[in-house]
Amino acid sequence: MKIYVSGLYSGGNPQPGVGITRSLRQGYPDATLVGVEYSNRSSGIHWPELDEVWLQRPWDELNLSAHGEAIRALLDGGALWISGSDLETMWLASVFPEGHANLLTPNAAALARITKPQVEAHEGLPVQIPPYIPTDRSDWDLHAFCRKHDWRVWLKGPYYDAVRTRSWDSFEAVRTTLAKVWNTERLFLQAHVTGYEESVMLCAYEGELLGCVRMRKREITEEGKTWAGDVSEVDEAFLTPLRRILRELNWTGGGELEMVRDADHRLWLLEMNPRFPAWVHGATIAGVNLPALLVEGATGVAAQRPEPGRGEFTRVVVEVPVRSEFPLPPLPEHLGGGTGHSLKHPSGLPALAERLHKLNVLDGGDNETSSGGDAPTVPNTMVEDLLAQDFNRIETPAWVFMESTAADTFKRAAAMAHTLSTNQTRVTNAYSIKTNPDARLIKLALDSGFMAEGISLLELHKALEVGFRPDQLILNGPGKWWPEGMIPKEQIHAVFCDSAPDLKKTVAALNSGELKAKIVGVRIRTPHIPSRFGIALDTPETFKSLVESIATLPEDTGFGVHFHMASSNIGVKAWWRLFDSMLRWCQSLERLTGRTIEVLDIGGGWFPDDWHSVDHSDFAKAVKRAQAALPNVGQIISEPGKAMAQPTMALAMRVLETQEEDGEITEAVVDASIAELPMYFHYPHRVLTQDRGGDWKTLKRGKSQLMGRLCMEHDVVAANIELPEGTRAGDVLVFCDAGGYDRSMSYVFGRG
Amino acid sequence: MYLAEVETRAVQATEVPEVTSCTVKWDSWPASTISHHGQACCEIAREWMLANDFSQLGDAAALTGPRWLPKKYPWGPSPWPMHWCEAVGRKKLDCGAHQAISQELFTARGVQSRPAQFVQQFSEEATRHWGHKWGEDQVPAGWIDGDVIYHEGCAVTVEGDEIKLWDASAGWWIDPQQSGGYGALLSVRILDPSAEAPQTLSWGGRQLALNRWNTV
Ligand SMILES: [Zn+2]
Repeated sequence: MKIYVSGLYSGGNPQPGVGITRSLRQGYPDATLVGVEYSNRSSGIHWPELDEVWLQRPWDELNLSAHGEAIRALLDGGALWISGSDLETMWLASVFPEGHANLLTPNAAALARITKPQVEAHEGLPVQIPPYIPTDRSDWDLHAFCRKHDWRVWLKGPYYDAVRTRSWDSFEAVRTTLAKVWNTERLFLQAHVTGYEESVMLCAYEGELLGCVRMRKREITEEGKTWAGDVSEVDEAFLTPLRRILRELNWTGGGELEMVRDADHRLWLLEMNPRFPAWVHGATIAGVNLPALLVEGATGVAAQRPEPGRGEFTRVVVEVPVRSEFPLPPLPEHLGGGTGHSLKHPSGLPALAERLHKLNVLDGGDNETSSGGDAPTVPNTMVEDLLAQDFNRIETPAWVFMESTAADTFKRAAAMAHTLSTNQTRVTNAYSIKTNPDARLIKLALDSGFMAEGISLLELHKALEVGFRPDQLILNGPGKWWPEGMIPKEQIHAVFCDSAPDLKKTVAALNSGELKAKIVGVRIRTPHIPSRFGIALDTPETFKSLVESIATLPEDTGFGVHFHMASSNIGVKAWWRLFDSMLRWCQSLERLTGRTIEVLDIGGGWFPDDWHSVDHSDFAKAVKRAQAALPNVGQIISEPGKAMAQPTMALAMRVLETQEEDGEITEAVVDASIAELPMYFHYPHRVLTQDRGGDWKTLKRGKSQLMGRLCMEHDVVAANIELPEGTRAGDVLVFCDAGGYDRSMSYVFGRG
Repeated sequence: MYLAEVETRAVQATEVPEVTSCTVKWDSWPASTISHHGQACCEIAREWMLANDFSQLGDAAALTGPRWLPKKYPWGPSPWPMHWCEAVGRKKLDCGAHQAISQELFTARGVQSRPAQFVQQFSEEATRHWGHKWGEDQVPAGWIDGDVIYHEGCAVTVEGDEIKLWDASAGWWIDPQQSGGYGALLSVRILDPSAEAPQTLSWGGRQLALNRWNTV
């Protein structure tokens, strides 16, 4: 009996070839085992239990049809083939569309039905698929998905690779890298599931399940790979549907379902691999030799049974002698100034993926590159606002006040506050002046029933200048008393203290009569959250001193608590969790200080879509929870930060020059820059341009880079955009969603 | 009641449990509890523990073990008796304190939890070092007996009579599929004075009788 086993890469993220070999050797001591590899850098070729090594050139050099024919000759000659590589398996399925009795890998139809992330074939198994979104959607939608899932998301490649992306700029960087490596834009974002990882490994021949085991990972490498595990039987509730599914797929070969079990014991399916996992020999040690069962099922030749084991296995690092016929190749020279070099994919799997795209065995490659995903949508008011401008008369770069969009945004917020208010608790909006101190927006806030929230005395004075009354002002932040001597003489609505010294100073100012405020409160920082603001509650000492400090507040002022956190950074669900966490701490403060909380000031950087487009049921429920937890709260001040300002301004710019390659614009320089779009790295902006017919259209992702006018390396205002054909110098582009911190934090640079 | 005090008490079995040689020594030990001064000092400390647990748990399921506790207060010698205001100020807490606090945390989450007493297998090597460590802090180490130790944790109800055993010092759930060896659980007693005897709980398919030692 001669068995070919491929996938001998044995680095930190190993392929299963060595494990399969060891298991086959146990089951068939006399079989001739031939290791198949596509790189002499894959250390598994030196595994001593291999009788022979069939070393091929890396996938980018290989003549695929000749290799296919050679394999056919081997199989026809009676040899068996077990693949340890997903991509090789996919390629073999295309070479042998009708299968081959000696080819122990799944067929193309079965492979199509286990494509991740949806893994169609999972229907019937007691598992769920974690939420996901393909990356061919617009950046606007992808950013929304990340916010929805609290930035606990994985960006995954179509065949291999998964990277946690915790922010927009890291997502963009990883997307660029993975798309380049695998030559496809068909990546996907998937929500993270917290839990313990476990797998079911199986083998089947022509649809008949021959054996399976469950393995729980007990030690995990930094890359998330199994280092130790325990092996047990698969329960009937899993086994019955699995047997049916494998029959429907007419599955041949090994396979693995990778899952996570959450704290509520629910199973989440991450992927189904069309091959044995690298830990396959761990199960053999535990007494279940699936590679041998597979060979036995295919040939009818009885395998030697493994000794029953203890059910646990672990890995160790083992040095083996190098085979004399395959001496170690030289280490490649370091690229200029580089350190070390990577052994990732030494056999050129990305090159195989690219070739399979070209052969249409797999989707992806050059034929997809023109897609660039969906174009994002914009509200009608934004288009109306742009149509109202005469861009021929506007000197660029220029901020465009989106008048009807701004009016609509404030109107909605006012309506929401009205709807959410109850007899017991009034919900009041507050406008955060720092998000955009433009007088038009401050006036709009005043006219829409907002209060004004400032982080400095200068900001409060700006609000007074626009027409706010002192009793409509809220002061907070770490430097709120700056500049000196500008505390309003009249009573303001509320002051929130950011630290213990700030609380002391505020109490002194109240006692001396320098400050008059209806409400004095504290900004709290709940534990477990990285923030520089507010009084930290993460140690019993700071909590105790807070409790004691609150006792020093004058009895004739009301007491309030301020809780702000940027929802756009931590995510929407996380924000509401923190809200509940804040309520819990408020209850403790009330109980321990004897002071009742009358005002809650909640908010902090919401993404406009999350704030304005929801049905407000989350907020309505939160008001109820606040009332239940803190019955004396008469006012909830809602301050959604940039959610108000961000949509209200756009940045218009002109193209200064374009560069083309093969008839496509690869680069364009514009007269705006990151000095006007400092938030470019943090979230996607919707970019519009007017077509020849005068209609405003949003631009899709594409291959062009928009370079800012600054002579600065990082001044790239859009790294991947599709400019319309015929774009030329003088054309106007408008970046929407720039009315928040883009506007208020923009700086003067390169203007002499 | 607490470890340092009880270890000096005479062994007085109130019923006839399934006592193995290693459980005799600790049979009279009740599970540890944290004391309260009945004043603001302890009230603030206890509120901090409970509110902090709420924040640390986030959106995780209520059955998630409070691993933040041994992370903030690593396992180590603790003088007894211990009050809440003393517990929050310590750098290290022993298993009795971890158990007693975790017990309160689970209860505050609305999860039923009972104190669990463990006898665990280690090695003479391990226990000798622990003995030194406790000696340096001048805390008695009656929880050590040769190569086995007395340890405390929580028996947390999953559903009905199904429980999981939380090792509140290690920050993990004890694996019911374990067999003997280093670190293995040899014997467990789950305490519930209110339980109507005889009652059993199910732990990973094993039946454990309440209020008596069960050999694992
Ligand atoms: Zn006390």
